[in-house]
Amino acid sequence: MRFRKLGALAVGGALVVGACTQTPAASPGGSASASAGGSAAGSGAAGDTSKGTVKIAVELPLEGSELAASQPIINGIRLAVKEAGGAAGGYAVEVPESAVYDDAVNGAHDPQQGATNMQTIVQDPSIVAVIGPLNSSVASAQIPISNEAGLLQCSPANTNPDLTKGDPAKELRPNPDKNNYIRVVTTDDVQGPAAAQYIIDNLGKKSVFIIDDTETFGKGVADAFEAEFKERGGTVVGHEGVPKTTTDYQSILTAAAALKPESIYFGGVTATGGARILKAAVAAGLGDIPYVGPDGINDGSAETPDSFLNLAGDDAKNSYSTLAGIGDFPAKDEFDAAYEAEYGEQATGYAATGYACAQVVLDALRRAGEGGGGSDMAALREAVRAAGTDSSVSYDTILGEITFTPEGDTSQRIISIYAYDPEAKDWAFKEQVDFGAE
Amino acid sequence: MTAIATPASPASRRRPAWFLPVVSLGGVAAYYLLLRFVFGIGEGTALQQVANALSTGAIYALVALGYTMVYGIIELINFAHGDVFMVGAFVSLFFLVQVLGNTGLTAPITNLPVLLLLIGAALLVTMPLIGLLNVGIERFFYRPLRNAPRLAPLITAIGVSFILQNIALVIAGSGDESSPQIFPIRDWRLSIGEITIPYLSLFVFALAMVLMVLLQTFVGRTRLGRAMRSTAQDREAAALMGVDLNQTIALTFLLGGALAGAAGVVWGLTYGYVRSDLGFNAGLKAFTSAVLGGIGNITGAVLGGFIIGFVEVFATTLGQTRWSQFVVFVVLALVLVFRPAGILGQQVGERA
Repeated sequence: MRFRKLGALAVGGALVVGACTQTPAASPGGSASASAGGSAAGSGAAGDTSKGTVKIAVELPLEGSELAASQPIINGIRLAVKEAGGAAGGYAVEVPESAVYDDAVNGAHDPQQGATNMQTIVQDPSIVAVIGPLNSSVASAQIPISNEAGLLQCSPANTNPDLTKGDPAKELRPNPDKNNYIRVVTTDDVQGPAAAQYIIDNLGKKSVFIIDDTETFGKGVADAFEAEFKERGGTVVGHEGVPKTTTDYQSILTAAAALKPESIYFGGVTATGGARILKAAVAAGLGDIPYVGPDGINDGSAETPDSFLNLAGDDAKNSYSTLAGIGDFPAKDEFDAAYEAEYGEQATGYAATGYACAQVVLDALRRAGEGGGGSDMAALREAVRAAGTDSSVSYDTILGEITFTPEGDTSQRIISIYAYDPEAKDWAFKEQVDFGAE
Repeated sequence: MTAIATPASPASRRRPAWFLPVVSLGGVAAYYLLLRFVFGIGEGTALQQVANALSTGAIYALVALGYTMVYGIIELINFAHGDVFMVGAFVSLFFLVQVLGNTGLTAPITNLPVLLLLIGAALLVTMPLIGLLNVGIERFFYRPLRNAPRLAPLITAIGVSFILQNIALVIAGSGDESSPQIFPIRDWRLSIGEITIPYLSLFVFALAMVLMVLLQTFVGRTRLGRAMRSTAQDREAAALMGVDLNQTIALTFLLGGALAGAAGVVWGLTYGYVRSDLGFNAGLKAFTSAVLGGIGNITGAVLGGFIIGFVEVFATTLGQTRWSQFVVFVVLALVLVFRPAGILGQQVGERA
């Protein structure tokens, strides 16, 4: 069951797919002259692999419901590398199966496994950068290791603010002056508030019951949601922390029903109880109010095994989800077409952010290579890190033009809102909220 | 009262038969009044939470019986028992999916005779299968170690737990599997004024009570039950008196497994999902129930299961779910401070 092919997904499910803002030299399909990083094409000898071969590692959970979110990311990364001609800065670039690491244990991401993987990754000198992880809790276990090793790490999906901002972020880094971690999605201090804004302004609900899964991501996004909901004059009737090991959800939702909330917000992912809580809510008589969650429950259509919509079935009729990224882009059709041509299925979830991470890494490698690349692999790794985290560089990615703050956050602060479409049995894009650059 | 591990004590002889049921009913009433008037919980919510606690507690109690019986008879903490329960939940899930798929019935089933027939069939399939699984585990993993140092079977039990969990992982995958909720949990509700309580909670409670009374009767009134009790008291002496030890121990595992199978069926009906790591947490709670009630004591395991169900729901009702584990273990610690052998357990000297 774990490796069932992902089902065909309706167009509404083609989520964070951005436009291909590529130069003529780097059209989808990957001409031989294509180079990394969109606008970066042309400089340096494209396709030149005279300096040897380097690897980009991938670190994601590859089991259960999270495989549905991870596989499109891997596909997106490989598509970007292929379209760049498999080379950057004079190096041949590979993403071999042996450099794809799985941090899932018993069907769900595991921070300890993620840390173990990162220790293996930093010891391989041919790896110049790592893309991943999916989950913020895993990232906070990995950043101390990748930062100490000075390895560029780009996450296509981490949204917890503490990974980049303030004292918690500094404490994660043994070398706070040499940042190595960047991400192409925005943070939960925007994702949570976007949901709060949507519930109050668009759904017209003034009170909410909040449940989080007590994890780094889930509690973080739920707390940000709560603050914004109150800020906008809404009433938070209760906020429960419900760990994923909980067995009896019914009594929790019975208690919630007594407080007569007009909506429910869930901070967490499908693997930590998203669908179970919804089912218990419906059984407790809360089936007619909106059930809103973050990107953790936006993990594919009802056809995708173990996804939120798959498990929730008809109970999802009032479900909404947010995604920390751009859902709507004028030229996303080009990316969709290139992706479908390559993999025979529609791009979903974080496919485009995986692609964007690979573009950033390839561009960093190109600039590092042009700068001489360094005498050995260790020097190259450091050069890539410095190039990738340079906050003065603007990247022309598939998601549009982005820069990174010195802490590693993207300048793009856009959240997309999705609602369940019972016809397509899939998430349907509703609208996106742009919070503007910080 | 039937204490499987220890002889009936003078204390328990002093208590009349009605003592425990009356005290339990009183406890439930006090619990309701506490929620209702001390903590100001609404009438409907308080009643619904009592119903939730009854069904949660019934599942813990059914699983706890397996722990307590096995401990009573061979002094082994069978850590694999939670996973045996998980396998039971999966067997029930697959059976119901097959039946629904082949008959064109869809969950929930609103025809009462058909529903009862189907639940009965699920129990008839799951209970013997899981009982036999448990017997097989005893035969192949624990029996060869029966005279080994105590740690050997204990570690083996942990190993069996991992084996079962990983087999489930390979077969069923790692995510949640949706179990058909054939009992109409949303539509069939007992209405008292504005309050509605799902009949399912009451059904689960009643089913568990019936199974427990059957077990009590079996252990307390039959020849085989007497063999079990004598083996628990003194294995060598029982063997000398002509009790077939292997058969008696196998029977204990059969009964414990069958009850875990029943708990698995009930789990699927109540919660609608099964996953491979379910056994660990449910097992932990059930084991705690058995210790709380007095491990080795059948009545104690049932009592412990319900107490833990009620305590958990209590924390949840007050909006403090994250403290529920804390409260459960504080209650356990307090009980063990004053009654080290558990609520109904008897102090026994270490055997030679």
